[in-house]
Amino acid sequence: MSDWHTPGGQLDPLKVRAAYPILSTTPGGRPLHYLDSAATAQRPKAVVDAVSNFLLTANANPHRGAYTLGGDATAAYEGARARTAAFLGVPAEELVMLGSATEALNLVARSWGRANLSRGDVVLVTEAEHHANLIPWQQVTREVDADLEFIPVDDVTGEILWDRLEGLLKLRPKIVAVGHVSNVLGSAAPLAQIAPQIHAAGGLLAVDGCQAVANMPVNIPDTGADFYAFSAHKMGALFSGGGLWARAHLLNEMNPIETGGDMIREVRLRDATFAEGTQKFEAGTPDASGTVALAAACDFIDDLGREQIHAHEVRMLERVLRELPEALPDARILGPRDAKDRIGLVSFSSDLVHAHDLATILDRRGVAIRAGHHCAMPLHEQLELSATARVSVAPYTTDEDLDALFDGLRDARKIFAR
Amino acid sequence: MGGMDDLYREQILEHHRTPHNFGQLAEPTISVDGRNPSCGDLITMQLQLDAEGLITDVAFSGRGCAISQASASLLTDELRGKRAEEITALGSPYVMELLGVEVGPSRIHCALLGLETTQKAIATWRNKA
Repeated sequence: MSDWHTPGGQLDPLKVRAAYPILSTTPGGRPLHYLDSAATAQRPKAVVDAVSNFLLTANANPHRGAYTLGGDATAAYEGARARTAAFLGVPAEELVMLGSATEALNLVARSWGRANLSRGDVVLVTEAEHHANLIPWQQVTREVDADLEFIPVDDVTGEILWDRLEGLLKLRPKIVAVGHVSNVLGSAAPLAQIAPQIHAAGGLLAVDGCQAVANMPVNIPDTGADFYAFSAHKMGALFSGGGLWARAHLLNEMNPIETGGDMIREVRLRDATFAEGTQKFEAGTPDASGTVALAAACDFIDDLGREQIHAHEVRMLERVLRELPEALPDARILGPRDAKDRIGLVSFSSDLVHAHDLATILDRRGVAIRAGHHCAMPLHEQLELSATARVSVAPYTTDEDLDALFDGLRDARKIFAR
Repeated sequence: MGGMDDLYREQILEHHRTPHNFGQLAEPTISVDGRNPSCGDLITMQLQLDAEGLITDVAFSGRGCAISQASASLLTDELRGKRAEEITALGSPYVMELLGVEVGPSRIHCALLGLETTQKAIATWRNKA
């Protein structure tokens, strides 16, 4: 612990920064203040070293080679799956390794959805969903003539109105699909409360965990979810990689949507039988190096401490919420007022400075933020905003990063107010 | 840094604050919407064209960043009296010239939205004719 922490046990972001070589680079000749970790986290050297070590010493096609190196590759891949599963508190046999969280959510919609939804059935999502947890449900409900219904958001703050869920459950949705943490609002869904309600109404709960797993302790069984999808690159692993956990009986019932090598039991010219369990959904050569990176990212996150990461991020967000209105007085902040109710990010808009102009002006000080609809266009439509600016924090975010942010916001205000 | 300051210099900010030709035409020959799907910038471009394809009047409305709105405003000042085919031939160098500044790859789609929407309007008008 001591490598990354203060004597008092808090995360010391200055020590943590040293683990991320990119944070010492100077893109465009400016020190980098990376405040876009919600889009993709930076990679610690430990993760890159783990991939490099695997590729240079254990690289072979997993599940195939009858030679020692092939066995090493299989052990590395399956070991990495087991490590990731342990990180999330689930059995390795229930964790499907995929290319991305998007792929995971599409698998739920297209495999479970096509087999279990039919005309008149209801699928429930929130108005704040990331497109990856919306469009797959639009597609499958259209295909089978099911109904897509929505848990609404507050028109001003954007906050998801969870108290409307009870009424909507009277529609008896077959599945409710929600983000664990909204990538625009920064608020966490009250999963442990809503899961029993949804189950009591006869539905399943599918969760998009992309914004949660790197920023707060997540033990999937505690959430009550039936499906849980997550992304590797948001945890500091590679761009390729993501996973889907599902209850064992759901995995057993589901059909693969991709077929090919490695997912079969027996293949004849005119038909095939499929492998059991997770392997059925992992057609083709598995992404062994990406999964090794993911396991290394889990190790690194646990080394920092998930409680400590969360506490550090709340401290950073408290400062953002406090000083943002001073730096840019007309900022309209979306989501919860209290940093303690937030995970990792703050989005806001300003009538004075459009989000894209803000991002360009901040870039002048090396401050990297996201501007746009963050793959949540319907939420922005609902709030009558075309774009918002999003600041997201990470274990390596420092007070200096926030100083540069506020200086940049004051620059923008000066430029546009003159 | 100099280029950056140029991007938000007074002329561009002035066009953003008080865009020229902003609003609706009473009887546009053609009216189309253009949108940047990645960032949500929106421009509605309205043209009045005579039978020979000469632009006789123009108005635009929209919402979005300073660069998209200011470039659309600057462009509309130039459109009256131009022929449809002249507009079709224009590209990003023309818009950069209007703005008087190089726009980097991360913002070029904002700068071009006005021109691209005008070109889309002309194409739509041609298809109708």
